[in-house]
Amino acid sequence: MAVPRTTRWVRLLPVLPAVVLLLVFLAGPVLWAFHASLTNAALTGRNARSPGWVGLDNYARLLTDPVLPLSLALTVLFVGGSAILGQNMLGLLIAVLMRRARRSVSAVVGTAVVAAWVLPEIVAAFAAYAYFSRDGTLNQLLGGLGLGQPDWLYSFPMVAIMLANVWRGTAFSMLVYRAALDDVPGEVTEAALMDGASGWQRLAFITLPMIRGSIATNLMLITLQTLAVFTLIWVMTAGGPSNASTTLPVLAYQEAFKFGDIGYGTAVASVLILIGMVFGAAYIRLLREAKP
Amino acid sequence: MTTATQTSARARRRAALGSVSLARRRARTPADAALVLIGACFVLPLLWLALASLDAGAGHQTRLPGEVSLDNFAAIMTPGLLFQPLWNSLLLSAGTAAVNLVAAVLAAYPLSRYQSRFNRPFMYTILFGTCLPITAIMVPVYGLFVQLHLLDSMPGTIFFMATTTLPMAIWMTKNFMDAVPVSLEEAAWVDGASGMAALRTIVLPLMRQGLGVVFIFVFIQAWGNFFVPFVLLLSEAGQPAAVSIFSFFGQHGAVAYGQLAAFSILFSVPVLVLYVIVAKGAGSSFALSGAVKG
Amino acid sequence: MRRRATIITSLMASAVLTLAACSPGAPAGEAKTLKIVYQKTASFTALDTLFQSAKQEFEAANQGVTVELEPIQAEDDDYGTKLALALRSPATAPDVFYEDTFKVRSDVDAGYLLKLDSHLQAWSEWDTFDDAAKAAGLGDDGGTYAVPVGTDTRAIWYNKKVLAAAGVSLPWEPRTWQDILDAARKIKASDPTVVPFNMYAGKATGEGTVMQSFYELLYGTDSALYDAEAKKWVVGSAGFTDALAFLKTLYDEKLAVSPAEALDANVWKKVFGEWLPQAKMGATVEGSYTPSFWQDGGSYEWPGYEQDMGVAPFPTQEGQAPGGVSMSGGWTLAVGAETKNPDLAFGFLTTALNKKNSLAFNIASSQIAVRKDVAADSTYQAANPFVKDVSELVSVTHYRPATADYPRISAAVQEATEAVITGAKSPEQAAADYDAAVKDLVGEDKTVRK
Repeated sequence: MAVPRTTRWVRLLPVLPAVVLLLVFLAGPVLWAFHASLTNAALTGRNARSPGWVGLDNYARLLTDPVLPLSLALTVLFVGGSAILGQNMLGLLIAVLMRRARRSVSAVVGTAVVAAWVLPEIVAAFAAYAYFSRDGTLNQLLGGLGLGQPDWLYSFPMVAIMLANVWRGTAFSMLVYRAALDDVPGEVTEAALMDGASGWQRLAFITLPMIRGSIATNLMLITLQTLAVFTLIWVMTAGGPSNASTTLPVLAYQEAFKFGDIGYGTAVASVLILIGMVFGAAYIRLLREAKP
Repeated sequence: MTTATQTSARARRRAALGSVSLARRRARTPADAALVLIGACFVLPLLWLALASLDAGAGHQTRLPGEVSLDNFAAIMTPGLLFQPLWNSLLLSAGTAAVNLVAAVLAAYPLSRYQSRFNRPFMYTILFGTCLPITAIMVPVYGLFVQLHLLDSMPGTIFFMATTTLPMAIWMTKNFMDAVPVSLEEAAWVDGASGMAALRTIVLPLMRQGLGVVFIFVFIQAWGNFFVPFVLLLSEAGQPAAVSIFSFFGQHGAVAYGQLAAFSILFSVPVLVLYVIVAKGAGSSFALSGAVKG
Repeated sequence: MRRRATIITSLMASAVLTLAACSPGAPAGEAKTLKIVYQKTASFTALDTLFQSAKQEFEAANQGVTVELEPIQAEDDDYGTKLALALRSPATAPDVFYEDTFKVRSDVDAGYLLKLDSHLQAWSEWDTFDDAAKAAGLGDDGGTYAVPVGTDTRAIWYNKKVLAAAGVSLPWEPRTWQDILDAARKIKASDPTVVPFNMYAGKATGEGTVMQSFYELLYGTDSALYDAEAKKWVVGSAGFTDALAFLKTLYDEKLAVSPAEALDANVWKKVFGEWLPQAKMGATVEGSYTPSFWQDGGSYEWPGYEQDMGVAPFPTQEGQAPGGVSMSGGWTLAVGAETKNPDLAFGFLTTALNKKNSLAFNIASSQIAVRKDVAADSTYQAANPFVKDVSELVSVTHYRPATADYPRISAAVQEATEAVITGAKSPEQAAADYDAAVKDLVGEDKTVRK
């Protein structure tokens, strides 16, 4: 190949702007977070002027803070319930149904699912807030069916937030699975059909194993996306009532900005970053195995 | 509602498969019904937005407006409330997408064109960057911005937002660039053009569509972003619509549902349109081309 | 040739990025620009009016000076957050800003506020300010860092029609907590659709919960939140548990709004805008600024509110001396410590708080005047029929502890009220958890059992 004979480092120079940006604005904050979580930096008071080094105090406090286990549990519940179960299963179900249904039907339904995903997050959050509020659409429906009308955002804040997140994010899984199913060669399933395998048997024993890579990738990505959800929760419940929906991102924000405890807030954020890193590393391994 | 008189080409092909098509067709009606039900659940919250925006006396309920009026739209169409924030959103999103595209194209070129031991680890490191929960680093980013004196600065916020989507953009751009055959450039190199000149004159024009996809993808992300400007931009005059909608309706929330819905619709239309453009041009799975298909 | 093009392109792009990223967004302020940060919401525009007029006056009197008004659109809690975020960076710190009295001391500690003593000595009008109000601007070192714009008290605001319909004799003057419960139950019995007696609770209403509700109860017992002499936080007091128990009674018997409504940050808008005007609520505990919402030009205009509403001091627990209890907060104007033009900034502050502007602002926002000449002004006294009543409450009023850790303590109190009204914890349990939280926040040695 007649590649121009330039030395290697010059060739790689155009990568520099991107590297500079990533170092300053992505690696920088991460390092700053680990550093600040070891200080008692604050928004106001004496520690705002001259933050002191407190070592692992913030992390020690994390371990004894009654809100942290709750917050961790809520985060796990939120990710497990709305991403791994909700978005993932519903996305797969819709993708499978779309292959069987009429084109016109799947096009219309696909549009509706994608619309919720493309909407700006803040708009989706307001729409979900209105939908779940006490005199909102959901209770209208339940009332019409003669069922009870609980105050969702007050009595079952996590249920409301998880449903809202499923509504908002399912499109991503649906698109991944549609693309994956389209890649499954038709002959394979046709052959199984001749052998008299039922639709669900085909799905379970032939199709799903064939798209295992896509399933793993999708689970990873939606987990990471859901870990970081803030706006939806902030608009719908602001973490309440009584911290009943305070996931880790909300907790970090409240500690750092509402109570001005930057050091403690970044300690919470650092925990979240570490969780993200673990998932990230697992995701990269997956990809590398898929493409040796 | 299948009828035996279907004569489309697809149906004829199906008929050749006899028993297979029968099984398929039997499965079709329940699948249709299930999909319609799921679709209805997804449409409901959106329906509220649409109906409430046309209803001067809107509440949380989904109902047909007593009389369709554009009062809500009229009420919010003021420079301070709508136009300035939308303009800020445009600046922020376009700026972010532009910075992103330049950095992504420059970075993708050597990664796509030169074999080097450094490529794969670099790409994986970049991909690792996409995994960081951005909301988690907002607190440290704020601290960093204080020290760099970048708080409340539109350029600073643009660069940060561009960085958060940069890893994904580099992956996408590299994939599009890999699709442009290298043989075209080799001719140019023989003529003595530099790598950069070849990139500008040959490669970029050929991947115009791909660049458009990346630009719009980043633009949509930035347009809807609430949390980043909420923390980094302080002055009222520079707030994008995502933040102004929050502060305005955080106060009026109990009253102006119709206006909130109208504002939401006007704010959402640009991204919906952009999405349609891309989906039409590149297939609906465009956003996943970077990560999932690798 | 080729190589050089590549190098130059890449280096230029990097340089542009680095430069653009590291140049401050706003042009470095010219020597003669003042940045003013304050709060403006849909229901609170009086301050905006004040600064607009001060800007005109000041720019006319000081040629070449530009006053940049930067209102922050947020409710109290979020305003505090946004202001703190701006103060922390010298690049965004304002020259003059609107500051809640309870944040003054911690912001002095942080080094955000300019010491004003030397400027105040030269300002002849400083003597017209009320001495008690001046104390709000003091730092730990005894210097003055902020100038009060007004103060407030809290009282019971009741709807005469609702009380009369239930057979409660007017004017209503409850002497004990029991009197409140009796009247509330009477109202409930006569009309179950009415909210008899509302008191805020929970985190959503923020400082409103403690200032308009919990502290009226706590300071009406024989205990307090903070021992100012010993500089220690009070834990384990019977008064704290009693106050929580009273709130629990109100909410459990449905004498207040429903817990779900109480936990909506906008609940106070419904109190002012819907429930009281529509005679759907008997009474609530609210600030002396209440008439500003109902008078002409207010957010929830209510012609004739003067006839329909009455005001009463909040009683002590058993009617013990002094027979009433109130809380005072209030806001100040402060000058940023990093200002490049301290003299100009202070000059603007004095223009904003001269008699004319203070008078207009105090009337528009129903603030209790802190300037004696404003307090004596006939238009101020006639602004609404309740000025005299709420001003007299200054004699039985209490102030929040002005310490840097107060905001966290306040949050812990709000948390306790929320746990009690939602039924998550008993008053005793919530009080014990509060005690533990306080010890965590300030350290065991900074607490005292009383």
